[in-house]
Amino acid sequence: MGFDLRFGWTGPIGGVTLGATRSEGGTRRVSYRIGGGSTLPFLDSNSSFSSPLIAFEICDNPVFWPPIVRNYCGDLVNNVEDWAKTADSTYGADMIRLYLTSTRQRNFSDIPAVGKAVEAVLSATSLPLIIEGSNEPKIDSEVFQRCGEVAQGERLLLGTAEANRYRSIAAAALAYNHSLIAQSPIDVNLAKQLNILLREIGVLRDHIVIDPYTGTLGYGFEYSYSAMERIRFSALKGDTDLAMPMICSPADTLTIKEVREAESAVQDEMAATWEFYTGLAAAVAGAEIICVRHPETVGKLRLAFTSMKNGTGSAQVR
Amino acid sequence: MALKALDIYKLLPKKNCKECGDPTCLTFAMKLAGGKADVDLCPYLDDQAKAVLGATTRPPIRRVRIGVGERSFEIGEEFVLYRHEKTFFHQPGILFEVSDTQSPDEITSITKRVKDESFTRVGTDLMFSGIAVRNRSNATDSFAAAVGIVENVADLPLVLISANTAALSAALVHCGTYRPLIHAATKGNFKEMCALAKQHGCPLVIKAHQLDELAQLAKDCSAEGVQDFVMDLSPASLYEFIASSTGIRQLAITRTAPDLGYPVYLDATAGGMQDAWIALGIVKYASVIVTAPLSRASAKAALTLRQNVYTDPQKPIQMNPGLYRVGTPGKDAPVLMTVNFSLTFFTLEGYLESARIPCFMLIVDTEGLSVLTAVAAGKLNETLVLDAIRRFDVENEVSHKKLIIPGYAAPLSGRIEEATGWKVMVGPRDAAEIGDFLNEEWKR
Ligand code: B12
Ligand code: SF4
Repeated sequence: MGFDLRFGWTGPIGGVTLGATRSEGGTRRVSYRIGGGSTLPFLDSNSSFSSPLIAFEICDNPVFWPPIVRNYCGDLVNNVEDWAKTADSTYGADMIRLYLTSTRQRNFSDIPAVGKAVEAVLSATSLPLIIEGSNEPKIDSEVFQRCGEVAQGERLLLGTAEANRYRSIAAAALAYNHSLIAQSPIDVNLAKQLNILLREIGVLRDHIVIDPYTGTLGYGFEYSYSAMERIRFSALKGDTDLAMPMICSPADTLTIKEVREAESAVQDEMAATWEFYTGLAAAVAGAEIICVRHPETVGKLRLAFTSMKNGTGSAQVR
Repeated sequence: MALKALDIYKLLPKKNCKECGDPTCLTFAMKLAGGKADVDLCPYLDDQAKAVLGATTRPPIRRVRIGVGERSFEIGEEFVLYRHEKTFFHQPGILFEVSDTQSPDEITSITKRVKDESFTRVGTDLMFSGIAVRNRSNATDSFAAAVGIVENVADLPLVLISANTAALSAALVHCGTYRPLIHAATKGNFKEMCALAKQHGCPLVIKAHQLDELAQLAKDCSAEGVQDFVMDLSPASLYEFIASSTGIRQLAITRTAPDLGYPVYLDATAGGMQDAWIALGIVKYASVIVTAPLSRASAKAALTLRQNVYTDPQKPIQMNPGLYRVGTPGKDAPVLMTVNFSLTFFTLEGYLESARIPCFMLIVDTEGLSVLTAVAAGKLNETLVLDAIRRFDVENEVSHKKLIIPGYAAPLSGRIEEATGWKVMVGPRDAAEIGDFLNEEWKR
């Protein structure tokens, strides 16, 4: 006697390609195809299914970065190239996410520097990249344009489009064939709405990664967890406007009280553990890119994802 | 197998008298089929029909209590696959493991830790749930002795882990009346295990590696007269756990496999990936999680994840609006306004306490939304603030008319001043800076 587990799903999650190898017109040593799932996360019977990607976040002006990472990484944080290289070869990330925090200075206008930072990271690592542009509508257009241009052919993931701020980033993504992150505040309907807006101005479904916004563990994570589950559920039930892969970036994790106030001897462990619990739970809810800032989180997640892959034991549920 | 609405309908009196609250017997039957009504609502059902229907309309996952007294906990009685469909009701017990090969001192100190350690978040004390004692020695005496030590230290819920029925029997002499969970009945030993569980009235873990074997074992053990089961699939990988636990939950709540309608047991001690097992256990339907004692970091993260996932998604944890005191504030003490989302309240209160400046907290009813969320949703406004000042008689509590508002509520400052006639001071955004702010801006 066996049990037949049926959920009645109708539609798969759409795929998105990140990065481009030489044969694909870029210079990356790998490219990833995320999405494609046809049931709940980690239950796909196809054992070739890839694990969630682990993206390590760095920035080009560390003033805006959590002190705990600055302490742990030391001098590296002052040099995006070395930092990106280390994230690739030592921390073992799948992707690098560069935040252009330098643009957050008042009246920032050094657009060429933006291009240089992106180029520097492109040459420091051959992993696919996520580039997080400006935070300031006034310079969005120029910043995204420049990022898109210097990385033409590399299939970047550009961040971050929001309901009231998506045109500049979409324009750059369209012009240079990059994908983009669409962020909405923890709500399945808002996520859908933004995807429709993007589609209306020409962004294709297979160029969108949904960011449902991750509240950190203990500070709103339960809402994000459920928003992700709902998005995945709606997608599997056939809503193509939500059938995109998701990204989880629990950016506030390293500044919460539990981490900030931990005794210094256990602070790194606290940070990595907090990121790990958040990232793992988000992956189970449907996120396919998990962003982290503490180097020690990368290996912990990697180990778990390996054991979460089908084929690591005899499957019992179809 | 679950009964279909039509099968149920055949068993009903067909009076269409509406006394059950439904317009017809058929609609009542449909509700019963969906587990959304109770058979007792129909006064005309005969006993035989009740017996048939009762079995299919009981909660799809049996409720099981582990331990007795204050620290005992209930598991099971869950209805959904996703917490947003309703909520998850009974959070998993997380138990620290000790072994009978450890020294009495070690066993004592781990037990004490579970008894005393608590971590307060959002006004709730989060604690681990009990102790699992493993018969690693395989000897009878040392197992009983270890259980005796634990019992002497604290009245905590226990799991007794042994394949040796003699050892279990000896241990149950110490704790048999306290409803420990016995681990585990298998195909090979279920008769003896059931006899022990029955004799002491204890819940029993049943263990098999395949879902159909487990269902069979549940049937066999029920036939022996035991009802309270917890199921262990001893998954070999995290993948196997997710797959089998999700399978069990789905098959049970849809009543496709009523014999799998019991809570799930998870051994998180295996394989050096404790955090991963625990996190997955919490989100993917485990009800009893046994782990080696956790580091402070893992302990906090695990308890926080459990708290998050098991809060009701329909209602954020809220405070009653009102005027709260920090320390013993005098008439000239500052008044700080904030929202009635518990997390916000307790975060702010924590920083105010460590700042050691007696003050008042004026809690406004934002329906449980945080400051930023409430501002974004228009749930925090000048009318509410005025209303709170009046309702809680703030004008008579203090001799000034200055109100400190959260930094994130700055856009409302003008309107609050206008509506209330109070002078508004915009505080910092981050509550961590409240001490410095009060020292600099208030004490001047
Ligand atoms: C969880 C969450 C939700 C939950 C609700 C949680 C709740 N109970 O409030 C849900 C999913 C329901 C939600 C809904 C919405 N949300 Co929301 N949500 C969040 C999230 C992730 C965390 C909020 C939280 O719990 N914060 C923790 C508490 C403790 O923070 P706090 O109350 O602000 O308190 C701090 C300070 O204000 C200060 N403080 C507090 N009181 C006082 C008092 C004084 C005197 C002082 C000095 C300081 C002080 O101390 C605290 C610690 O520093 C935030 C993102 C974020 N990082 O804040 C977004 C966020 C607040 N949400 C946002 C939005 C837009 C919304 C929605 C309008 C959109 C939607 N989804 O429909 C709705 C509106 C609500 C509604 N009507 O349904 C935006 C707000 C944008 C803006 N800047 O205005 C945010 C910032 C997300 C984003 N980046 O887009 N949200
Ligand atoms: S109370 Fe019983 S007999 Fe009357 S309508 Fe309801 S199900 Fe039918």
